[in-house]
Amino acid sequence: MSDAHRTAWVSLVFLMALALSVVVVPWISPYTYDLQDLELIGQPIGPDRAHWFGTDELGQDSLTRVFFGGRISLAVGLASALVATLVGTTIGALAGFFGGRVDTALMRLTDVVLSIPLLPLVLLLSGLLRPGLPMLVLTIGGLTWMATARVVRSQFLTLRELEFVTAARALGAGSGRLIIRHMLPNALAPITVSATLAVGSSIMLESALSFLGFGVQPPTPTWGNLLNAASPWIGAAPWLALPPGILIFATVLAVNFLGDGLRDALESKD
Amino acid sequence: MRAFPAGVVLTAGIALISGGVSVAAPVRGGTLTVGLPYDIDTLNVYATATLGDVESAVIEGLLAPNEHARYEPVLATEVPTLANGGIEFTKHGAAMRVTYHLRPGVTWQDGAPLTSADVKFTWEAVADPHFLAESKDGTQEVESIDTPDDLTVIVNYRSVSPSFASTLFTFGILPRHLLAGKDLNHDPYNDTPLGTGPFMVREFRRGQFVVLDRNPHYWGRDAQGGTLPYLDRIVYKLIPSSNTLGALIRAGEVLLAPRIPFMLAKQLEGTANVELIVGPSLGWARLAFGMKGKSLLRDPVLRRAIAQAINRAALVKAAGGYPQPIRSPVLPVLDELYDPSPEAEVPGYDPVAANQALDAAGYRRGGDGYRSRDGVPLAFGITTQAGEIDGEIAEQIIIAELKAIGIRVAADNKTGIAYRQVRYRGEYDLLYGRWVTAADPVYSVFYGSHGPLNGQGYASAPLDAALERMETLLEPGPRRAASADMQRIFAHDLPSIPLLSNVSIAAKSTRLKNFVINPTNMTDFISVAHWYLEPLPGRAP
Amino acid sequence: MSAAFLLKRLLGAVPLLLAISLLLFVIVHLAPGGPLDVYVDNPSVTPEALRQLRIGYGLDRPLPVQYLLWLKSMLEGAWGYSIRTGRPVTQEIIERLPATLLLGGTALALSLAIALPVGVLTAALRRSGVDRVLTFLSFSGISIPVFWLALMLQLLLSIKLGWLPAAGYETIGASGVRDRLAHLVMPALVLSLATIASWSRFLRSSLIDVLEQDYIRTAFAKGHSFAGVILRHALRNALIPVVTVISLDLASVISGAVITETVFAWPGIGRLFVESMDGRDYPVLMGLMMLGSVALILANLLADLVYAAIDPRIRYE
Repeated sequence: MSDAHRTAWVSLVFLMALALSVVVVPWISPYTYDLQDLELIGQPIGPDRAHWFGTDELGQDSLTRVFFGGRISLAVGLASALVATLVGTTIGALAGFFGGRVDTALMRLTDVVLSIPLLPLVLLLSGLLRPGLPMLVLTIGGLTWMATARVVRSQFLTLRELEFVTAARALGAGSGRLIIRHMLPNALAPITVSATLAVGSSIMLESALSFLGFGVQPPTPTWGNLLNAASPWIGAAPWLALPPGILIFATVLAVNFLGDGLRDALESKD
Repeated sequence: MRAFPAGVVLTAGIALISGGVSVAAPVRGGTLTVGLPYDIDTLNVYATATLGDVESAVIEGLLAPNEHARYEPVLATEVPTLANGGIEFTKHGAAMRVTYHLRPGVTWQDGAPLTSADVKFTWEAVADPHFLAESKDGTQEVESIDTPDDLTVIVNYRSVSPSFASTLFTFGILPRHLLAGKDLNHDPYNDTPLGTGPFMVREFRRGQFVVLDRNPHYWGRDAQGGTLPYLDRIVYKLIPSSNTLGALIRAGEVLLAPRIPFMLAKQLEGTANVELIVGPSLGWARLAFGMKGKSLLRDPVLRRAIAQAINRAALVKAAGGYPQPIRSPVLPVLDELYDPSPEAEVPGYDPVAANQALDAAGYRRGGDGYRSRDGVPLAFGITTQAGEIDGEIAEQIIIAELKAIGIRVAADNKTGIAYRQVRYRGEYDLLYGRWVTAADPVYSVFYGSHGPLNGQGYASAPLDAALERMETLLEPGPRRAASADMQRIFAHDLPSIPLLSNVSIAAKSTRLKNFVINPTNMTDFISVAHWYLEPLPGRAP
Repeated sequence: MSAAFLLKRLLGAVPLLLAISLLLFVIVHLAPGGPLDVYVDNPSVTPEALRQLRIGYGLDRPLPVQYLLWLKSMLEGAWGYSIRTGRPVTQEIIERLPATLLLGGTALALSLAIALPVGVLTAALRRSGVDRVLTFLSFSGISIPVFWLALMLQLLLSIKLGWLPAAGYETIGASGVRDRLAHLVMPALVLSLATIASWSRFLRSSLIDVLEQDYIRTAFAKGHSFAGVILRHALRNALIPVVTVISLDLASVISGAVITETVFAWPGIGRLFVESMDGRDYPVLMGLMMLGSVALILANLLADLVYAAIDPRIRYE
């Protein structure tokens, strides 16, 4: 097995373990994520027997918050990537299939959104709309579909010329059926790669938003806003900033390795 | 032999008692680097939305509040009072006239002399409706100003205004010879203001710093008759990130950081060469209720229960133990107005009683623990200024405490200007906010039925009457009685729940001397002319 | 490369810019109350003054007219006045631009300086230990959250070790080249990390593809040295797709600057953006967004032109 494959498998295992732990850990934890211990309010306390990751300045257990936050971060990441993939695939498929004016129009749209710097745009929208979780997912997903669209479009441009398509058309298949039943399954591979990578960038984007104070608000933790809360204490209580940062890093890294491995696997098939 | 131990004890005793006071002679020279925790929008003190830390070192007013929140004369030779004839009643006691005598020999930093025409111009310019300014308080009460000579200003008021010194003329005098006929909204004065104060603006680089140089012709003198100021230069660094500010303080790159968040103070405790100075502040934190329209919070039972759910001790602890809990909108440090007797009527921390009251009022708990009545859930938003660490921490505690009595609260914070808007309009359910007042606060602005900043929708005729008396009587006795009434009504109605009195915490290098905290909104820099820096060991400052 | 080609591409950018301007205009006006909302409840602002402002900003006209008025003034260079400071937007931006250009330029230069050798090295030493380590580092570079890296570096190099100043542009009063450099190091490193990682990866895969081409094998067969082949033949062709990536990554540099400048208190336009967000300073926000978009479009254009210049095969359209 090649390097890329091996690391991809390791990453997959890691991600599944992570997904499992963000579900299980808060469930079995003796603390809820928003339980404030009056004795410990005022200053973050370092890791000890009662609190393995220590507590924050509100006396809340850091371990529970980090893993509960993982639920939100991963969920937002996955959901946004899903939205981005759906939007991107639709736009890319339509552009690639119909070509001509439709293609030009859709690619122009893609160009417009791509030409605006991403983080400032997301900040602008979040700042104005102050979204709850669903709107946040739509915002992030609605601004990160462009890479998928391009990939799908070029796939469809190629597929369009292939024999099985011409044959299907000759048999009277309508456009919709053609796209969905015949072409899409063949484009599934690059779509999967794109979707996987989109998860990584969505997680990053949500973290950046929350870090800057937009996005999800406390007491609901996400890895991003945990870092935001930890940053004033970076000198006096650095242990607060380590777990969320490491987890974002590890997750995005694993996702990238996974996507790379998938891409590698596809290319060797071709 | 026996004298020896006594002598040692005596010297030690003196040293202990005078520990905080600098007995050494002031050292001249040096550059003070200040870290300001906010970004400056403009250096025009009347237009700015922030406090005037820079402006207070550059421009001066007729009077200024000292560290005990008492007014002292600056450009005027004495504080006008009834006793010295500076204040006279006119129109049979319905209005008043205030006379200032200007200090002779004061020049602007460009050499032009300060005259009464400048004072009159200041009023006209700030009152001008074309000038978009934050701080126009006091301009409307003035009917006219007479300037019989260059050093006398007679201000004729339409009414009797005990808080006449709180904004206009105290904030600063504007130079007529520079600004007459100019558009104050866009003038270069807003970047490099001209004043009469101990320091002059050398450079203002937006987003970065302001550099002030010593004014060699400053009129002020120290107790020995020596020239002021002592410092050569002040550099204000603009550092909105509390993180970064902490790092710079520790590294000695910032020698003074005024009004730092409690959290930062906690993080800096025990740092070498850094002292934390804790001083009173005329600021208080409260939980305000938005009561407009059909808001559920119009129910006084609900407000009372919420008051009983809040544990001030937790809030104090979360703020590093620095602030004091308070129960009255009038701060104890305002001894002319504060009356402790009504406080017994303010509800204390009693979540059991709160739960009982809510049960009795028909707010039933659902399966998720949260209450509702007639299908309407008890769910509210709480707003504070986004980015303000202390407020956000307090919010989290309040959210948890209200959850304990079955009320669902979600944070809905706003930044900067959006926050002020929401406050003005009362577009909130719960608001956790802090208010730094002048030495003579005008409560009717916030709590009077027609108060321009009464965004809450609170209206109470008895409170209006008490406020009316409080704000039009000059005699201390009746004023305090009116204030006691006001506090009592407040304790029953609870339009806001007073929670914490602020303290002002400054982090400063041990080298900085004569620094003293000023609790008013004029900032600590009012006394900057007297500060000096001890040189680093072995070096000139 | 013909002038017609150049002209065509330039003209193509115009409708793009118009579309972007329309989109931004719509977004900004989504805010309840619009740009003057700020003043509506300020008790110091009289209704008369507000009315005058409305007329001055053209807010009493229908929305399409407002858009056209705004577009006209943008083109004339009259970008309005900042709501927070009262100064012209162009002045606000021009003052802060040099700091960002310095930071961005340094980051880009740093990225090129490091990514090129790393890309070549990992391609040449494919599948070796060095390659594996550097590849892992590259992946790490694009996976690390910028704000976390910034905090960690600040913690280590400033607070714990005291080697570098924690934040800011320079030490006022003691400024010099060394001082400026010391302040520049951390932000530039942080900003360039992601691009170093992504460019070296791209160069690596592009170079690997090129190295497998026939004409390269021929060159080796002819006895040319390994280094010579890479430098004289392979690299030029391998750089072509990388050029595209570089121009696309400009977008991430602009975005990354927002976070980096905030953490390190760098006085550039990234921080100006965040401050303007806080203050709902729409005129400045619009100006910055347009500027950012123009920069991106120009970068893409430049990439296309360089692409066309390098690769004689590209002459389509």
